[in-house]
Amino acid sequence: METFSFILIQLLNALSQASLLFFLGSGLALIFGIMRVVNFSHGALYMLGAYIGYTVARLTGSVWLAMLIAPLLVGLLGLLFEMGFLRHLYKRDEDAFLLVTFGLTLVLAELTRLTWGAPPLQVLLPTGLTDVVFILDEPMPVYRLFLIAAGTISSLLIWQFLERTRLGLLIRATSQNAQMVHALGADINLIRSGVFALGCGLAALGGVLAAPSLTASLGMSSAVIDAFVIVIIGGMGSFLGAILGSLIVACVQTFGNFFFPDFALVFLYALMLGVLIIRPGGLLGKEV
Amino acid sequence: MRSKVLGLAAIALLIFAPTFLPVYAMTLLTELVILALFAMSLDLMVGYTKLVSFGHAGAYGLGAYVCGLITLNSTIPLPFAVGLTAIIVCIVAVAIAWSCTMATGVSFAMLTLAFGQLGYAVAIKWVSVTGGSDGLSGISKRIGPFGWAFLTTKAGFYLFALGCLLGAYFLCRALIRAPFGQVLRGIRENEMKVIALGYNTRRYKIAVVALAYMFAGIAGALYASFAGFANPEMLFWTVSGQVLIMVIVGGKGTLIGPMLGAVFFIMVEHKLSEITETWGLFMGIIFIAFVMFAPDGIMGILKKRIFNKEVTTTTFQTLEVPANPGQVK
Repeated sequence: METFSFILIQLLNALSQASLLFFLGSGLALIFGIMRVVNFSHGALYMLGAYIGYTVARLTGSVWLAMLIAPLLVGLLGLLFEMGFLRHLYKRDEDAFLLVTFGLTLVLAELTRLTWGAPPLQVLLPTGLTDVVFILDEPMPVYRLFLIAAGTISSLLIWQFLERTRLGLLIRATSQNAQMVHALGADINLIRSGVFALGCGLAALGGVLAAPSLTASLGMSSAVIDAFVIVIIGGMGSFLGAILGSLIVACVQTFGNFFFPDFALVFLYALMLGVLIIRPGGLLGKEV
Repeated sequence: MRSKVLGLAAIALLIFAPTFLPVYAMTLLTELVILALFAMSLDLMVGYTKLVSFGHAGAYGLGAYVCGLITLNSTIPLPFAVGLTAIIVCIVAVAIAWSCTMATGVSFAMLTLAFGQLGYAVAIKWVSVTGGSDGLSGISKRIGPFGWAFLTTKAGFYLFALGCLLGAYFLCRALIRAPFGQVLRGIRENEMKVIALGYNTRRYKIAVVALAYMFAGIAGALYASFAGFANPEMLFWTVSGQVLIMVIVGGKGTLIGPMLGAVFFIMVEHKLSEITETWGLFMGIIFIAFVMFAPDGIMGILKKRIFNKEVTTTTFQTLEVPANPGQVK
């Protein structure tokens, strides 16, 4: 019985971690799917989300409001950056994109340090979710269960949005053949800007959600590596792949950290290399 | 012709620098020479083969740690320690390159980043060997073989570092002009075509990554002996980012450009940090501006303005023509 409850608790921990990773990875996957480029600043936007969330929560006293405002602000920032810079780079090769978003990462990291200072900031748990429940006599914070619910609901909503709505159809079509969609009369630039903003907003939401359990810190911008591992494992540009990737990465991280704390990272990279050898395009991706 | 004269003058000036520069300037100049070697090594990948690496600090840090450990645990003279470091880094690099070249394009870049961060994690966690987050300290400059004591002096060490840089530069230049370099440029312009011509491009990519990592490792080894320490910060991804900035701002695919980029980077850092604490912010903005508006970097601007030459980094070199060293500029 003890091992069962242990596995259950660790599984729930892994699922709550997977939710956070999902917000990070799915945005990256969506942006990659539609633009064929990697947004290096994804980790920085995730970090920015956490910091903006911290400020909103302090000013208004409500973490719930922070979960709404931070993604909107960061999404707006992404929109402006796409329209001001990235849009002019589609004709250049993909490396230019990587480099410009890397530049944005530097700028954002520095601006964040200037605005909020270097020490990590503690974000409080949202009201109503501060309790701890006991599952099979093991303590489990309600906030983690909330994260699982948030991740599940969001992933279902976005998946259905992509599959069932006309806009979702256009997004999927653009990721397959942008020129054809353009020829059929849809505004490609608008779709690209919108998806980029959506991806940035998702990353920021992940940041806000992660902040109460992890604190908001400058190191969060390294999360772009986690996001990328998810996308490589799941499949470049595949939304369902991002969900699968987050689940796998979260399980490896949670169980790896518990059993072999010093080697968890090595396991993760070994897994990523294994996937690359067997399926270069990722588990649910197309062959590249 | 003009560029040749200019190049020789620059080399002469660098060799005789210790005779007229004050001591504090020598320290800065040595650092510049080491960083120039570091930046130039990345150019082999980014500029000539279009393999963007976000993990180049891994090679730099590895070189620093290996050289530090050799120096701390043996009495091998400095030049041999650096040579041994180069060999070890090169072997490790082949394994890393083998893994990373399984992916292409952006995935390759992110894999190098992952390996760089892995190196950073190892440097922090493997306390018994690497000294954890404190790193290695007390690495001394060694007297050279045959009792060459001059290597321990400031000017002597500078000349040794300069020798490494010039040696690496001329070796890279020769390789770039050889058929090997032609294939690399072919991969940069159109890898499918090179594959269709019957080349095993992955082997070439592994070779160039190993070579680039080796030179970065030498730069790291020099830095560890010069500064007397090696710490995990040297492997952090921001260092990889900085060296990438040097390459792009200096002008990729020119070998000389990244060296100028290193000088530019350090100068901007010094000047900006005098007036503002946030030089990183301005560096980021300068970097974005270069990527957007001057993708050929300082070297591209210089070539256009001073030598009235069209920039050659983006022109297509046909592979059907047999490699002719004199043709390539």
